Amino acid sequence: MKQGVAIWRCAGCRAAFFPQRLLCPRCHGDVFAQERVHEAVVEEVSTIRHMLGQTDWQPRCIASVRIADGPCITVGLTDESAPGTVIELLEEGTAPYGALKK
Amino acid sequence: MHVNAAIIGVGQSAYVRRPQGGQCTQTFMRDAVIAALADAQIAAGEVDGLAVASLSLAPDTAVDLAWKLGLSLRWLLQDTNGGSSAMNMLGHAVRAVESAAASVVLMVGGDATGLGGYARIAANFNTVTQLHLAPLGHGGPNGVYALVTSRQMKKFGLEKSDYGHIAIAQRAWAAGNPFAVYRAPMTMQDYLAAPIVADPLCRYDCVPVVAGAQAIVVAHPDRCPGGRAPVRVRAHRASFNYDNQEGDGLRTGIVTFAHELWQEGDVGPEDIDVASIYDDYPAIVLAQLDDLGLIPDHDLKRFARREIAERRLPINTWGGMLSAGQPGGPAGGLNGIAEAVLQLQHRAGERQVKDARLAVATGYGMTMYRYGGTAAAAILERQE
Repeated sequence: MKQGVAIWRCAGCRAAFFPQRLLCPRCHGDVFAQERVHEAVVEEVSTIRHMLGQTDWQPRCIASVRIADGPCITVGLTDESAPGTVIELLEEGTAPYGALKK
Repeated sequence: MHVNAAIIGVGQSAYVRRPQGGQCTQTFMRDAVIAALADAQIAAGEVDGLAVASLSLAPDTAVDLAWKLGLSLRWLLQDTNGGSSAMNMLGHAVRAVESAAASVVLMVGGDATGLGGYARIAANFNTVTQLHLAPLGHGGPNGVYALVTSRQMKKFGLEKSDYGHIAIAQRAWAAGNPFAVYRAPMTMQDYLAAPIVADPLCRYDCVPVVAGAQAIVVAHPDRCPGGRAPVRVRAHRASFNYDNQEGDGLRTGIVTFAHELWQEGDVGPEDIDVASIYDDYPAIVLAQLDDLGLIPDHDLKRFARREIAERRLPINTWGGMLSAGQPGGPAGGLNGIAEAVLQLQHRAGERQVKDARLAVATGYGMTMYRYGGTAAAAILERQE
């Protein structure tokens, strides 16, 4: 997995977004700089124990996490990080993940 | 207030957990259309407007459905707003009839995806879901609303059993609905013992996916069959992408228009006899009720334990999608409108709310990333 998660910061008003937008919802600017953020705080966690249409599903965890000056994003958790935990962010393809910060 | 357009008939297909050979989205829609036209006492040849919503109609579109139903039209709409499609279509339909763009509008929604098909739709709901959620194995909307529910529990001090009151009350209503897929009484013990799907959501917090369709007929109130009150739309409002997904999902788009809705309807939350609240998840039922102003002091816990648990306010009296089944979001939204119509026409049988005169119905949908981005609501009135 790649270190950090890509977010997009509006060049006009400096607001950060995930996922990517076409225009900034705050100032409607169209120029964004991509940044990588490396940590976030876990707010809510859920274990997905059942998946529609699948019989051999292995439970996995997702979490809503908050980036310091930016948005809340949904990540896959690779460990049992609980709400309040600071995690490091990782990326596999376009999917954001998180794990307890070492 | 729409005075020259009203809902005059409703009808639905059978709801089944597993579609059988020969059954598909369009055959369920056909069955619902036949039922609604019969109910409205309208001949198919009189229909000149059609509004359609479905997650599984593709590659066909609304005009293909019109063709297959033999309907030649002068007004046609296909709505893609999921759980708020039905309410959205209602707004367009009454305006179409009032403006004489059409004289009889048939609204229909339905789906027959099967569980596997629904899972594919959930994983490919939009590009954000495809790119950023589905690869996590997020569980579709169950995972999304599991996180929303945890957030709501934390913010409002709710316990799991508070959501149970919604599922149990709706199951009790479902006992009086022969179309509901689950009608057996449910106890709190049953609810709390149910398998967890996505913490904290259990099986009874998640709508059972069914195949089926619902249809509604809108026309001038004079076209309403004799001896039956037409149901008019006193007020209607909708909201799309109300907060750019920058909030917490504990408010819905309803909060942006609730004041105007009541003002236009010239009634208040306290006047409502029946409520049809889009119930994809119990947490969203509470969020919509709060946004509508139906929960005093935003005390969700007290409202769940008294008004809902004791059925003081009749909510989702057909059993809601939680018990009657969700035939896709679009038809699910139509179910709530149709139930409000039956209640206001005093045709709801053993689940009839005495002297029902005013109803509020909502739609909520399109889980864009962290929660739904569309919402709509109407105040419906029995026209004496």
